[in-house]
Amino acid sequence: MKLVRAGDSREIDVEVISRDGAAVRIRIGDREFAAEFTPNTDGGGILVIDGRRYPVFSARRKESILVSIGPASFEFKPAEAASRRRARGLATMEVTAPMPGKVLKVLVHDGDLVEAGQPLVVIEAMKMETTLAAESAAMVKQVRVDEGQTVDHGAVLIELSPPPASSGREAAPRAG
Amino acid sequence: MAQPLTKLLVANRGEIALRIIRSARLFGLKTVAVYSAADAQSMHVSAADEAIAIGPAEAAQSYLNIASIIVAAKHSGADAIHPGYGFLSERAEFAQAVSDAQIVFVGPRPEVMAALGDKVAARRIAVAAGVPVVPGIETAEISAAREFAARAGYPILIKAAAGGGGRGMRVVAEVAQLEPALEAATREAAAAFGDGRIFVEKYLARPRHIEIQILGDEHGNVVALGERDCSIQRRHQKIIEESPAPGLSDEMRAKIIDAALKLARAAHYTSAGTAEFLVEGDNFYFLEVNARLQVEHPVTEMRFGCDLVCEQLRIAAGGKVSAPADPRGAAIECRINAEDPEHDFRPATGTVLHLSVPGGPGVRFDSHLARGAEVTPWYDGLLGKLICYGADRKQARGRLVNALGEFALLGVTNNAAYVRDIIASEQFRDAELSTHFIDEFFSTWKLSTAEIDAAVVAAALANGDPQAEATLQRNSNQHRSPWDGLNSFELWRSRR
Repeated sequence: MKLVRAGDSREIDVEVISRDGAAVRIRIGDREFAAEFTPNTDGGGILVIDGRRYPVFSARRKESILVSIGPASFEFKPAEAASRRRARGLATMEVTAPMPGKVLKVLVHDGDLVEAGQPLVVIEAMKMETTLAAESAAMVKQVRVDEGQTVDHGAVLIELSPPPASSGREAAPRAG
Repeated sequence: MAQPLTKLLVANRGEIALRIIRSARLFGLKTVAVYSAADAQSMHVSAADEAIAIGPAEAAQSYLNIASIIVAAKHSGADAIHPGYGFLSERAEFAQAVSDAQIVFVGPRPEVMAALGDKVAARRIAVAAGVPVVPGIETAEISAAREFAARAGYPILIKAAAGGGGRGMRVVAEVAQLEPALEAATREAAAAFGDGRIFVEKYLARPRHIEIQILGDEHGNVVALGERDCSIQRRHQKIIEESPAPGLSDEMRAKIIDAALKLARAAHYTSAGTAEFLVEGDNFYFLEVNARLQVEHPVTEMRFGCDLVCEQLRIAAGGKVSAPADPRGAAIECRINAEDPEHDFRPATGTVLHLSVPGGPGVRFDSHLARGAEVTPWYDGLLGKLICYGADRKQARGRLVNALGEFALLGVTNNAAYVRDIIASEQFRDAELSTHFIDEFFSTWKLSTAEIDAAVVAAALANGDPQAEATLQRNSNQHRSPWDGLNSFELWRSRR
């Protein structure tokens, strides 16, 4: 199966080759190795790879698989789901809220031409300000939020279109 | 003037509200929690004897709403209010309003708070008491800031005059950044503290942050409970705090403690407070007084075997501070925050699907988290504090590394693996401490590939697990209930 980590676009090709009791054969990319997984009573288990023991918990949330390896936590999506999402993003060139929060400042207007790195929106979450900037040159097609407005994670803040006289690379938000 | 207290309202939320409620109960008080619409199911609400809704999720209309909180206190018959940290804790007008309502404020008197909680006024007191300060001026004027910066030399630091905890703080490396930084800092300061005044000062090259815990009572007694080294900060937010400060000479320690006591006496300080200093070489500079209980106070409690909230309550009731015991061993705290260290520490939210809390000798976890708890975007992202005590720093550090290894939190992205790697690092072991520790050693932190591999394996096993799929299916068919959200996140149980 192909998995994608949240916040990352690289596909991870992983296959459970065999599973016999605790013993697992696994392939990640072109690396094949053995692992041992022993479930325990609290819904998690112990994973042993290369002599190292990892306490593991996992859960499903919508299309995501959440995993903790000791104190480290991970979110994976099946690659098909992730690429569907990306395709949607590409088609509309939307600047979306990377987290729920409040729109503090809208720095552009409909029809503005923006350059790569130019700040578009300032949002506040958990008392910290985050500036979303254009990743490449673009034209502001439509500002979809007002200052002071509260937005959910993934809410569309600004729609962009390719700048009139350029090649029109994708303009995606970037936290700054 | 002894004034027995009976009922304490805690004007805060999260781990600190819970922590205060625990001590208040020990002190023999009934407790009242207040909560916003976003926190109705929070742990501090169920921990208190009673709980009162004070407004919508926006802090400005709930936890920062003085009128609502006073009404809640009157309504519940509380005779004392503890403000915790953050929110209204350092607002003199709140302390004044509480006292005007004939309720005891658990903290310094309003006039003391006004003088010391304000960085500018506090500097004046420090200078008058003969305590060294970092060169700086108060201004939000771009021209004055530019002139000061030109004189003192870049980089300079811009911060909220009313603030603390790094909110509204910015380092400015060159003149071009000055104006936008001033603007943003003013805005953040106004939003966080309701006070947009700004302080501009010289930025020291490689200082350590060392602070002294103070306790004062109405009888004029002031004591110091040693120091905490809080040098490990990210964007001026403390991440790791410890006591004693490693490598600090007894002579320096005595000098800094003496300065803190001078300040506290000059200000007639009462209750718990912290005098913060920057230490560079043989010099130390007064930074500010935090006129409240601090996030990292457990570090001091572990070493001194004391309960600072109980001390505050005793002082508020007109009692005397206890003579501090001799400090023992070492304690280290790390903050677990809802943020993504792999993606520029972006704030994270979510529902807790699983929580493993570490244990063992010398391990303390102060947190309001439980399975099913919501972490919302409305408030700061502190999820909990993990504090370890040891006979010496080596043992405290070893316990903290082990405790972080036992920690697991599913559902809210957090910095636990990041702080584990810091605590386990050679640089932390060798105490190469300065406020630039993170920039110097952990600016390009990544998870180990071994752990990422392990996560991929676990995800692949979970994805192919028929029982996990069955659970998912079953839950999606269930009728809706308030627990629906939780059920659909059912933990995966593998077949044997």
